[in-house]
Amino acid sequence: MNYQEFKQAVIAAAAEKEVKDYELYYSESAETQTEIFKTEVKGFATGSNLGVCLKCLVNGKMGYASTEHLSEEEAVSLVERALENAKSIESDEQAFIHTKGDTYAVIEKEEVKLPTAAEVIDFALDLQKQIYATDNRVVDGTQAYAGFVESKTALYNSNGLDLEDSAAFSFTYGMAVVAEGEEMYDGMEVSSGKFESFDIEKIAKEAVKDAVDTIGAESVPSGKYPVVFSNKVMASMLSTYSSVFSAEAAQKGLSLLKGKEGEKIAADIVTLTDDPMRADALVKATFDDEGVATYKKNVIEGGQFVTLLHNLKTAAVAGVKTTGNGHKASYASNVGIRPYSFYINPVKGTLDDLMAEAGNGIYVTSVEGMHAGANPITGDFSLAASGFCITDGKKGKPVKSITVSGNFFTLLKEIASVGEDLKFNPFALGSSRCGSPSVLIKEMTIAGK
Amino acid sequence: MLPQSLVKEALGIALSTGADYAEVFAEHTNQKAIQMVSTKVDKIEDAVIAGVGIRVFQGTRCVSGSTSSLERGAILACARRVADALGTGSAAIANVVLRERRFGDIHPVKIVPVSVENAYKVDFLKEACQTAKDYHQDISQVTGSFLDVDHNILVANSEGLFAEDRQIRTRIAVSAIASKNGENQTGSCSPGARVGMELFELFPPKEVGLEAARQAITMINAGYIDAGVMPVAIENAFGGVIFHEACGHALEASCVALGQSVFAGKLGQQIANEKVNAIDDGSIPNAWGSINIDDEGTPGRKNVLIENGILKSYMVDKLNGRRMGMAPTGNSRRQSYAYEPTSRMTNTFIAAGNDEDKDIIASIENGLYAKKMGGGSVNPLTGQFNFSVAEGYIIKNGEIKEAVRGASLIGKGSDILMNIDMVGKNLERGQGMCGASSGSIPTDVGQPLIRVSSITVGGR
Repeated sequence: MNYQEFKQAVIAAAAEKEVKDYELYYSESAETQTEIFKTEVKGFATGSNLGVCLKCLVNGKMGYASTEHLSEEEAVSLVERALENAKSIESDEQAFIHTKGDTYAVIEKEEVKLPTAAEVIDFALDLQKQIYATDNRVVDGTQAYAGFVESKTALYNSNGLDLEDSAAFSFTYGMAVVAEGEEMYDGMEVSSGKFESFDIEKIAKEAVKDAVDTIGAESVPSGKYPVVFSNKVMASMLSTYSSVFSAEAAQKGLSLLKGKEGEKIAADIVTLTDDPMRADALVKATFDDEGVATYKKNVIEGGQFVTLLHNLKTAAVAGVKTTGNGHKASYASNVGIRPYSFYINPVKGTLDDLMAEAGNGIYVTSVEGMHAGANPITGDFSLAASGFCITDGKKGKPVKSITVSGNFFTLLKEIASVGEDLKFNPFALGSSRCGSPSVLIKEMTIAGK
Repeated sequence: MLPQSLVKEALGIALSTGADYAEVFAEHTNQKAIQMVSTKVDKIEDAVIAGVGIRVFQGTRCVSGSTSSLERGAILACARRVADALGTGSAAIANVVLRERRFGDIHPVKIVPVSVENAYKVDFLKEACQTAKDYHQDISQVTGSFLDVDHNILVANSEGLFAEDRQIRTRIAVSAIASKNGENQTGSCSPGARVGMELFELFPPKEVGLEAARQAITMINAGYIDAGVMPVAIENAFGGVIFHEACGHALEASCVALGQSVFAGKLGQQIANEKVNAIDDGSIPNAWGSINIDDEGTPGRKNVLIENGILKSYMVDKLNGRRMGMAPTGNSRRQSYAYEPTSRMTNTFIAAGNDEDKDIIASIENGLYAKKMGGGSVNPLTGQFNFSVAEGYIIKNGEIKEAVRGASLIGKGSDILMNIDMVGKNLERGQGMCGASSGSIPTDVGQPLIRVSSITVGGR
């Protein structure tokens, strides 16, 4: 049974059970990926996956149920499960199903030409060859990947909304392993977007450089240092803490930003923007996962906290309009909240300028353990990090085995300078991604030797 | 789930372009998560996951495909897609002879969760959350969840295997937040097992709620620890996450076969202190990380990984086993049909030793007692890891003193294994979800109280 047939079966089952307010969310994706090890194709995978989620509104409470198995019986079961779940919801907040009438932005879709399976394999093999050729210290363990994704979502509800969106893009990454003495070092470079734009030489060079740069790294004495976070590291911090800007987290007492609208929460130099249709985004969203039209807004402006991100439910609780940030983590999820292209606005100065300003300190280029060492509820973080010393205003010797710790809310206030080199996290392949320029933080605690 | 004749046909098509091995994995899963905020049901996620994953091998090359469908047309199309991606040859459609095998079930379930209405589950969860909320006036928020999974799998391959398994598991989780002077601290407790609704007999909801709240209140009143290098005593149960992350992942064939592990080529060598015995055992009845068969149809079993500090075994799946010339060990796992299976942990722990807990604490002059570990992560290539300590205490002159927050343990897997120089007697396991290339799967970690003679502690 295909989705259109299943949709009709659900509509019939809903009518049968006298369910008046409901919404169907459909998601489908096809992904092809290959992986090269040594000089051969190690793996090749194609997946075509789909899922349907039904939500029913009963007495102001929303019940959800989802399935990947599209059949007549499953359509009936889907309605029954969603109904039982709606009746079990106890929270006081009123839930909503959106009504048509929004004006949606029209984006001119570029024709995306996806590669064939053979082209993907040839590309990845060439990339692997290039990585080995870049430096004679490159050893086995090095891997190259390439692939492409096509996705489609559709939203249909009993209030007359009937929306559809699709996206397609390619991606590739090289993971270089280099050996020096007994030790091994790894480095990575990612590209995504148009297949024909991928530059094999550049990807190989950057991946190897990323690994080679860390050779001979040592720890530094524990203490407090001025710290420069690379754009990549700051983007990943922002991503880990993006939930603190969610009105849902705030209303549930899970964000310390609750009730702080209008207050100063960051240094004057910090402006944080959420843009659903940024030109350089792989996936642009003209409507959110509740069918609400999206728009660009500042969340922090000149250090001042402007707004939390809302969906229909949290906006009603707060007595404001939704910001169009309703989001389902997967098709099966309840609607939550997330940003789109979410970034600290570039100010001025290169990375070198920031290091010159820091004088003597640490330039952090990589942090690990975000999911464990960073807590959005408390703001505390303590992360394994590596990078470089900043000595007399210049990039010095490589540093590893250090821990950088602090609190995200304090960090926002301690930002001394914001550079001009805005970069988005290249691994975020959907419409939600975080970005930042490199930033200089006045002082942070470093644990080393 | 699928008729044998259809599976046989799919295997035949998959083999038709020169593969020497083909495998069909089918799944039908019911999964429900009830989430509570404060003491009210806030969200319910209720999903049916169904589909098929097909793999073929030619030597050490693997091609795989998946489809969200249990329908004949889609399954055969997936098999065709996989075969076409492997080669262009048109070998005759192989005649695979399937023999049904039944491996039994060592994880008895008393009450099947999918047959129980929401209200019954909600009552238990509410009791847990209410207990946490009532614990102290500084508890500002409590969230809780109850998860039940009914995971039905079918594995068949061109070697003739045809086997099915039903894997039921349940988990309750409570997270408490304590607030004071504009600061938050959290505490959590989240036990789970390969059981049905009888989970609440094994882990009374009240105790789960109490534990989460106790931890949050302890931590909101704690100061920050100073960073430095020191000896650390790591408590049992979830403390075993350190072994899981820092060593377990590097013993998975997916890492070893590609030469990406510090332990590659070290079988028979001393890789840990002689006090260390480490085990991965997928055959513990009703344990959270247990299996009857793995996702390639190999029965779960007990594997000794490290014996008296000597590396004895890796955890091996079929594909990487071909690369390494080793037999599978019952460790091949996948989150769902949409992921390719690979070698993963089941219940992995450091076995009980001979030291008394009190001697371990008494032996530390200045150090840290990590009573509850948070999560962690590791770079398997370099072995560099980082764990957060959810509840820690200063040890001074052999005695446990005040609680400290913000501590994390940083180091290198191969170093820490050598530095585990005292191992207690009281082995306990704790539950986690482990994420890797084949998705998120339930695993147990575990250990008795251990002493690590020297480790970098991050603080502030």
